[in-house]
Amino acid sequence: MGQKVELACIIDDDKIYVNLVKKIIEIKKLSENLLIYKNGKEALDYFKDIMENATDEDKLPDIIFLDLNMPVMDGWEFLNEFIKIKNSLNKKITLYVVSSSIDPRDLERAKSFNLVTDYLIKPIELKKFEKIFEKTAA
Amino acid sequence: MLTDLQLNSILEDFDIAYWKINLFSKEISWSEHFNILVGKPKIEEDRFEFFINHILHPDYRYDFRIHFEKLVKEEEPFSFEIKLKLENGKYRWFECKNQKSKTSREFRETAVLLFVNIHQSKRDQYTIEENFFYYRETAEMTSTGGWYVDTVNKNIYWDDVSKKIIDCPRDFQPAYEDRMNFYAQEHHNRMRNAFDKCENFGIPFKLELKMVSFQSREFWVRLTGKPVYNNEQVVIGIRGVLQNIDENKSNELNLQNSLDIIATQNSRLFNFAHIVSHHLRSHSSNLSLIVELLRESKTDRDKLDLLPNVEDVAGNLDSAISRLNDIVSIQTSLRKEKVNIKFEEALEIVLSSISSLINRENAKIVAEFQDLKEIRYIPEYLESILLNLITNAIRYRQPGRKPVIFIQTYIENDKEYLEVSDNGMGIDLDEYGDKMFGMYKTFHQSNPEAKGIGLFITKNQVEALGGTISVSSTLDIGTTFKIKF
Repeated sequence: MGQKVELACIIDDDKIYVNLVKKIIEIKKLSENLLIYKNGKEALDYFKDIMENATDEDKLPDIIFLDLNMPVMDGWEFLNEFIKIKNSLNKKITLYVVSSSIDPRDLERAKSFNLVTDYLIKPIELKKFEKIFEKTAA
Repeated sequence: MLTDLQLNSILEDFDIAYWKINLFSKEISWSEHFNILVGKPKIEEDRFEFFINHILHPDYRYDFRIHFEKLVKEEEPFSFEIKLKLENGKYRWFECKNQKSKTSREFRETAVLLFVNIHQSKRDQYTIEENFFYYRETAEMTSTGGWYVDTVNKNIYWDDVSKKIIDCPRDFQPAYEDRMNFYAQEHHNRMRNAFDKCENFGIPFKLELKMVSFQSREFWVRLTGKPVYNNEQVVIGIRGVLQNIDENKSNELNLQNSLDIIATQNSRLFNFAHIVSHHLRSHSSNLSLIVELLRESKTDRDKLDLLPNVEDVAGNLDSAISRLNDIVSIQTSLRKEKVNIKFEEALEIVLSSISSLINRENAKIVAEFQDLKEIRYIPEYLESILLNLITNAIRYRQPGRKPVIFIQTYIENDKEYLEVSDNGMGIDLDEYGDKMFGMYKTFHQSNPEAKGIGLFITKNQVEALGGTISVSSTLDIGTTFKIKF
């Protein structure tokens, strides 16, 4: 494995899940660094801050794992806001929606967003994680 | 005086045939017209017996013999109806009568028996009777009455079925000015419009509306009206039928009602299935992640590190299941019976159960149940609704402001309402309105106080009993929940 993802971002309010994913990323050395936000608002604030202050692109993640059901600002609201600022962010960001919802309507809706690369249903297997990171790093 | 020839020709014109009977010889002779009518038969036997056996309809043989005896012996006038077989082989109705003799009995030589063709009028009479029968039966069966309004002389006419539908005495005569009293208040406008349009422009109408019976009972009717014109083509009245469709209409409304209940129950079930799938899955998926990580762990230390995660998942799963259980219990308690509950008493029970919370937050609760003191409801539901709304109001109080909760019941348009208002922090409904009663926060909110399932359960309870709940709110001012039972 030559290349490695520099910065990954997880937006999810399930602490246990975040903990476990963090462990996986550590064990498998999938990403150098990790950003963790427990709802869409916190993540959005971070992105807006970078955009407004034109700070380092390094601080933008290569990959985002976005949960749907979260308090304050859920995944859908985040997507709607993120579309507006995405083009001003000078970096290619891969975004995956990750949810335990198997409701086909959620899947349809997620795929209707161009910026959503795929809809992943929890639990995600270790191998799948590795593949996704490899693909993003390449 | 008319000659026999003239007389015969007149009788013929009126389709009247006759027999002449010689009272001495008992000989019978037929008029030419009679002979033609029955097809000029060749008669070998006795003329009378031939008539009885071949021309007269068998049903009238007995009657005819009796009357014939009378004719020969006495002078009583008689008239009876018989059927004769004519030359075309078909039976026709005739009235058979004797001719009143002017001469005294002793001098009578002949008697005359007249046969008057009454077939057409008999048939008309049958047709009318038959039509009338069908009309009556149809009207009764479909409970359809007829009505007429004389718009010139301002009179109303109802037929018997109409009177039966309206449930008024048969001799009741509705006054023109009172005609609107027989329609439900909410349909006065529709009725008046249809009536005016028909009276002024001759536009017919067909309406389904509620009428009010003589005993002030409301019921559904289908009402049609068509203009009646005079020779100058001016509308002089409106005529139509009135059909009682109360049974159909209430069936229809019941059906719609059942459909609504089924639809809400279905959406609740769907919601529940979604909740189960989503919220149980999030825990199970964490468990499988842990299992995968256990497999990957190289040292015992790494494995042990995962143990607290297992504990957390177990804990979350447990509380998720107990909350799902709360939702299931909404459905099971539906089987409980509704009783009359006083709001005052229900509130007392709720307040005593959360007295420590109220004291701690120094909350003030004002209740106003004057306009609606009690309601038929499931007590556990009413208490749960009050409990959820009150604790919710206290939980989301405006920091630094003493929480005041105002609870009020009232009746509006025959519907019962409960309102719970607070002076709390309020909520931005544009942003969160649609999520307010959702399940979501239940399993996600880390704040242990805010379980978030309360409003979801409240909404479910209210809707399970056929009511609705709505919310209005202003940030920093407060929130009002309004329940229509």
